[in-house]
Amino acid sequence: MPIKGLSIIGESINDSVPSTRKLFDDGNMEGLLALARSQDEKGAAYIDVNIGRREPSLMAGLVRKIQGVSSKPLSIDTPDMEIAAAGLHAYDAQRAGGRLPVLNSISPLRPEMFSLFKIKPFMPILMISERVEGGQSAPNRTAEETFRTARDMVLEARRACPGITNEHLILDPGICPVGSDSEGNLKRLLDGMHLIHDDPDLKRVHASVGLSNFTVMLPQKTRKGMPLRSTLESAFLTLAMPLGVDMIIGSMARKYERLPPGHPALACLEDFVRMDGFDAILRLKDFYS
Amino acid sequence: MSDLQQLYTAVLDGNARASKAIVEQALAEGADPQVLVTQYMIPAMDEVGRRFESNEYFVPELLISARAMKTALQIITPLLTAKGAQPIARVAIGTVKGDLHDIGKNLVSAMLEGGGFQVLDCGVDVAAEKFIEAIKTKQANVVALSALLTTTMPMMKTTIEAFKTAGVRGQIKVIIGGAPVTQKYAEEIGADGYADNASSAVTLARSLVSK
Repeated sequence: MPIKGLSIIGESINDSVPSTRKLFDDGNMEGLLALARSQDEKGAAYIDVNIGRREPSLMAGLVRKIQGVSSKPLSIDTPDMEIAAAGLHAYDAQRAGGRLPVLNSISPLRPEMFSLFKIKPFMPILMISERVEGGQSAPNRTAEETFRTARDMVLEARRACPGITNEHLILDPGICPVGSDSEGNLKRLLDGMHLIHDDPDLKRVHASVGLSNFTVMLPQKTRKGMPLRSTLESAFLTLAMPLGVDMIIGSMARKYERLPPGHPALACLEDFVRMDGFDAILRLKDFYS
Repeated sequence: MSDLQQLYTAVLDGNARASKAIVEQALAEGADPQVLVTQYMIPAMDEVGRRFESNEYFVPELLISARAMKTALQIITPLLTAKGAQPIARVAIGTVKGDLHDIGKNLVSAMLEGGGFQVLDCGVDVAAEKFIEAIKTKQANVVALSALLTTTMPMMKTTIEAFKTAGVRGQIKVIIGGAPVTQKYAEEIGADGYADNASSAVTLARSLVSK
């Protein structure tokens, strides 16, 4: 079961997952609905729907079909305006107990997506790992930049989406694979969340990360046979939840937990945040080797 | 004479301090810098690639070995350049316009350098013009394009079209990669090859330039 206070957006229905892509390619709607059902049963708070670069009508049809087998609200996952619009048009909040869909996601580079709010109110995931500067996109490398983008995106959402409240906003600080993080991204994320958490104007705003991305490219188990990826993801949640991360896009098959102080995986991540560059990478490697 | 097998081991284990010390000592003792690279360091990185492909090594090991290789190359490359030695090929690499992801691009850069290529890193959010400049002024003969988003993937096609318009397509091999990219897509847009990880990108680049 998920951790108390943590909502999971079930990630399985995503075209970039090879087994799911095959379901899409084969037109296997039953297979896709089975994924929706099983994530619902395993306690997903939302069910993500990402159809890749397919026709908007497929998104509309899939949203309707999933809502026929699950009463969980959906997360419409696409950067494409037309696909998002089709998903929102098809979404029936009544079937989800009146709950709004999530729109995953709006980046500072695509503020025009806020205009979809006219179709149907949604909870936007606001990407705050990058910003627009002088008409160009730039990655946020510091906690302060991340925080400033969070403030800007929240103001933009309030301006563009009349009546939207903090409870309906989700910030995504952008989690990077820890195995290649020699540039302090994890520290940026956690320190950035600290600043967001301490800002009274951002109270009750949600924060979400794509947690599976954190441990991608790492072994499933340590040399001693202990689970590695799920434990490191749990260590991340242990550090990030007190700073306001209360949602993840993740796997319902994973066992996430809050780790006790002194747990080796937690100690590893705490060291990782303190260390610089390759020393941090070496600390991680030593942890699983 | 130092035991040069230790250089192979230092790169394989990702021990940057040892790889630097061994290279310095070997050069002081009169070793041929070209031999150090081709007989010990590149074979070590090839073994890193093999272990990565067979899931014995993961990204942290790959990065650490690439750093050990790079540390040693920083000493050796100026000597090779002075002797007029040429790299296998010059690769201009970058993430396409509109895309800021750099992890995959950096991993491929590190492995290409380890594999004996000269890498011209054009960065992220790279317009076609910047690649064309690298082809024209720095004699890049391979261009490696990365894209991590389905929204920026079409920019790979745009970039290849720009190479044709600029009249440089015939001078270069274009390889592409990134999470949403596939072999089929590479064929569709007229790229010369697709690699699904940093290690296979090296194998692919080698096979294309040897044709």
